[in-house]
Amino acid sequence: MENYLVAMAVFAGLYGLMALGLNVIWGMTGMINLGLVGFMAVGAYTSALLTVRHATWPIWAGVLAATLVSGLAGAFVARITARLKGDYLAIVTLGFSEVVRIIASNEIRFTNGTDGISAIPGPFRGHVAPATFNLLYLGLVALALLVVFLLCQRLRHSPYGRVLRAIRDDDQVTAVAGKPVMRFKTEAFAIGAAITGFAGALYGHYNAYIAPEGFVPLITIYIVLALTAGGTGSNVGAVVGAALVVAFMEGTRFVVAEIPGLAAVQVAAVREFMIAALLILVLRYRPKGLFPEHHPRHPIPDTTP
Amino acid sequence: MLAHLIEELPQLIVNGLVVGTILALPAIGFTAIYAVLRFPNFTVASHATMGAYAGFVANVWFGLPVLPSLAVAFIVPAISGLVCDEYVLKPLRRTSAATGPMAAAIAAVALTIALENVIRFVFGNDLRGYDLPVYRDWRFDLGFAFLRVGPQQVENAAISVVVMAALFTFLAFTRTGKMMRAVADNPMLASIKGINAETVARLASLIGMGLVGVGGMLLGLDTSIDPLTGFRAVLTVFAAAVVGGLGSIPGAVVGAMVVGIGEELSLLVLDASYRTAVGFVAILVVLTFRPRGILGERAY
Amino acid sequence: MPNRLTRRALAAGLALSPLLAPAVVRAQAEPIRLGTLTPLTGAGGPYGPAMRKALEGVVEAVNSAGGVAGRRIQLYGEDSQTNPDAAVRAARKLIDVDRVSAIMGTWASAVTTAVAPLCWESRTMLFTVSGADSITQLPHRGYIIRTQPNSTLQISKLAEFLGAQGAKRIFILAAQTPFALTNRQVLEREMPKYGGQLLDQVIYDKDKTVFRSEVDQALRARPDFIFLNGYTPDVTILLRELYRAGWTGGKVAPAYAINQRLLDSLPAEVTNGAFTWAPSPDLESPAFKRLQTLLGTQDPDPYSCQTNDHASLAALAIAKAGAWTGDAIRENVRKISQGDGERVTEVTEGLKLLAAGREINYAGASGACDFTDTGDILTCPFRYEQAEGAKLKTVRVS
Repeated sequence: MENYLVAMAVFAGLYGLMALGLNVIWGMTGMINLGLVGFMAVGAYTSALLTVRHATWPIWAGVLAATLVSGLAGAFVARITARLKGDYLAIVTLGFSEVVRIIASNEIRFTNGTDGISAIPGPFRGHVAPATFNLLYLGLVALALLVVFLLCQRLRHSPYGRVLRAIRDDDQVTAVAGKPVMRFKTEAFAIGAAITGFAGALYGHYNAYIAPEGFVPLITIYIVLALTAGGTGSNVGAVVGAALVVAFMEGTRFVVAEIPGLAAVQVAAVREFMIAALLILVLRYRPKGLFPEHHPRHPIPDTTP
Repeated sequence: MLAHLIEELPQLIVNGLVVGTILALPAIGFTAIYAVLRFPNFTVASHATMGAYAGFVANVWFGLPVLPSLAVAFIVPAISGLVCDEYVLKPLRRTSAATGPMAAAIAAVALTIALENVIRFVFGNDLRGYDLPVYRDWRFDLGFAFLRVGPQQVENAAISVVVMAALFTFLAFTRTGKMMRAVADNPMLASIKGINAETVARLASLIGMGLVGVGGMLLGLDTSIDPLTGFRAVLTVFAAAVVGGLGSIPGAVVGAMVVGIGEELSLLVLDASYRTAVGFVAILVVLTFRPRGILGERAY
Repeated sequence: MPNRLTRRALAAGLALSPLLAPAVVRAQAEPIRLGTLTPLTGAGGPYGPAMRKALEGVVEAVNSAGGVAGRRIQLYGEDSQTNPDAAVRAARKLIDVDRVSAIMGTWASAVTTAVAPLCWESRTMLFTVSGADSITQLPHRGYIIRTQPNSTLQISKLAEFLGAQGAKRIFILAAQTPFALTNRQVLEREMPKYGGQLLDQVIYDKDKTVFRSEVDQALRARPDFIFLNGYTPDVTILLRELYRAGWTGGKVAPAYAINQRLLDSLPAEVTNGAFTWAPSPDLESPAFKRLQTLLGTQDPDPYSCQTNDHASLAALAIAKAGAWTGDAIRENVRKISQGDGERVTEVTEGLKLLAAGREINYAGASGACDFTDTGDILTCPFRYEQAEGAKLKTVRVS
């Protein structure tokens, strides 16, 4: 049981990291990104390819490279989508993540295709008991989460963060105020993508295995749910939201198992339904999330009615 | 190489047109809803599946022929689309002018998963098929190449074209249709003119999801019916709508053709396994030159 | 305000804890705990429910016959969602909360590979139907048993059959799967032995809705046999397209792709003549007969046959060991599935014999169930069937 809770805490931490990444892109800067899982995949694959498949870099170097490469991928996507507004961006980013998955499935020489990459090293894995590894990794993820959280808080409270929020609230006004909106948007997107890729790399080293089928849009939805439930724009919300999402996803297992008279496939359907319904209910009744963003020190005038 | 190309090209274009005409209907539904309600209603995936199942129930369980089954495939998703918008998505769009549409778009993603699972709960995952014969293709000798065309696909394409024609007639010549276009073009102006935006919004959801349902059944005719039928096509549908210009109905048709034919032509240079990616390359190419799609947003 | 929210968050956390309780309470009866991780949603959805039903059928049969050594089997089921990410969490739950000694019925190769390390690290047995050759090559130390034949066995058997059918020019239309490449390589190597050759392979995108041009590519190579290496949803489309294109040559697909469900969903003239092949059960096997009744079909899916055997093998290995840990299953599974013991084809019959102190050799609904040291099935007879009037007819068993 403890082992299970520790493992779920690791997942919650990794989801929390990704939710922080999404918060920079969406929560702070207001750019929708339905392709988050694509950056997670870029990160996971970069580190896995460098630490096991094509080279034997140390884990930290793989993770660092993963963060940089996914950041660059983020900047690239931001540049090519720079002129698109919200709805177009939603569809193009969704498409980006699918293209990443298709490439990972088909470039077999490079990525090992749908077979995936196994035996990705984890720190001390094999040298300590699996339960100890689990705990160690939880510590590592918690540390990573703390560092990224503090950085995100700093970003949010900095003048830089204020520009991002200004862009979110009205990019035209911000442009008129003389800010290079395009540059800020690209950088914010790259920062968010880098955090997500960093989480993806940690994810790969934890599970020891990645495959294209693991990077489906459903994960993006989980992260969006985490951020929305926590409070879009709020870093605390992102982290707590991720924990709640994992708790809810796992909790539904135990609830649906108690429903009598259903076939297995119906139980599974009820469970997925519940997760989807939760997101809708949160959006409806807690549109600002459980931890609404409150504007930090230097409040800017609220332009939304 | 050239002879090879000449031999293959006509067939690829015909195949692309066939794919395009079927994609066009759900793309029109998606874009029509966008035109009026100003948000991407991602429930297209599950409503297409729903249309396929509604048609299946009508055709196999009640023994109806194709055309009445198609009517059922229109009605059921239309009603569901309306109800979903009225009770789930509309309240979200209203939460705030700035974040409302995005919240509604995200809720639509969740809603489509919820609906998929309602369908799964009722029908299970088992593969279903319509009770319809399959015909051999017609073959034409062009002299330099053989061309094959399927009667069923011609029929599907014809159905799709008739539905599109009916829609254009409706939009161009009826009072309600003109109202819809007015709201799509300029909601503010329309409301000053006394057009009830609420009614128009409901109509858009109704007709839009109905068309998606018909498209779903046409897809089901050519593929198979299971809870993921709509999902398999939906990325291509989005690609078609975006390439044509979100909110433009003729754009959706053009986009569907571009993506349909583009995917086929890509086979000349790319492996077939990259097909889905082609739709997105098409998006990037088109949006680079025309950020609002080929026909722009408001061209009816 | 923040105060209220904290309480709320706390309440949400606490609300979960009583939900965890029932599993703990049940433990007092100390049943034998087995887990299933079949795909109930996602791409494996068409297969998972029947696989799960077959597993439940075995557990029910065992329990109503008095259980294993007087203990009931308790089956814990989770949905793999055909997604390694979701499957890892589900497997953690099965292993750490339900403390199952075996996980049965993983389908997608990615899911199996993802949960495999969790299984061998926690000494939990993993029974799978996944086809990727790489699975049994993992460092699993004996904790994996795979009832699906690997590429070499499966495709050599196909090549032999195609040779006997007089096939000279084979073309493959394949979905992008972990075994697509290895299957192709084996067929390319094997066909010449029977005087035939592999022309080429087109890998298609299985999430597409139309495969007309892919079929054209295949036909242009002028094959006499086309091998459809996919799953039911995409093979349905391919068969229809081949019919439309006027294809009259041979067509063959794995038995899990052309199953009864597929035959029921297409007009008979489209599927007529299509061959399938799969490791063969004893057709008179009571386990196979029970599955036919349970699943309500003459021709149970090969995957369901395999999960039937997963549960049977686990139950028999536990009975043989007199212990219900993953290690006990690992060390005893080959003792009851192969060797000189009395041949049994139904789990309850095997349990009786084991209780009487006899040695057994189980052959199940999916075939002989004899395994190599790495967990692959040893060579075994295959059953070749042909679709005729929306039914599969056995052509030969060899």
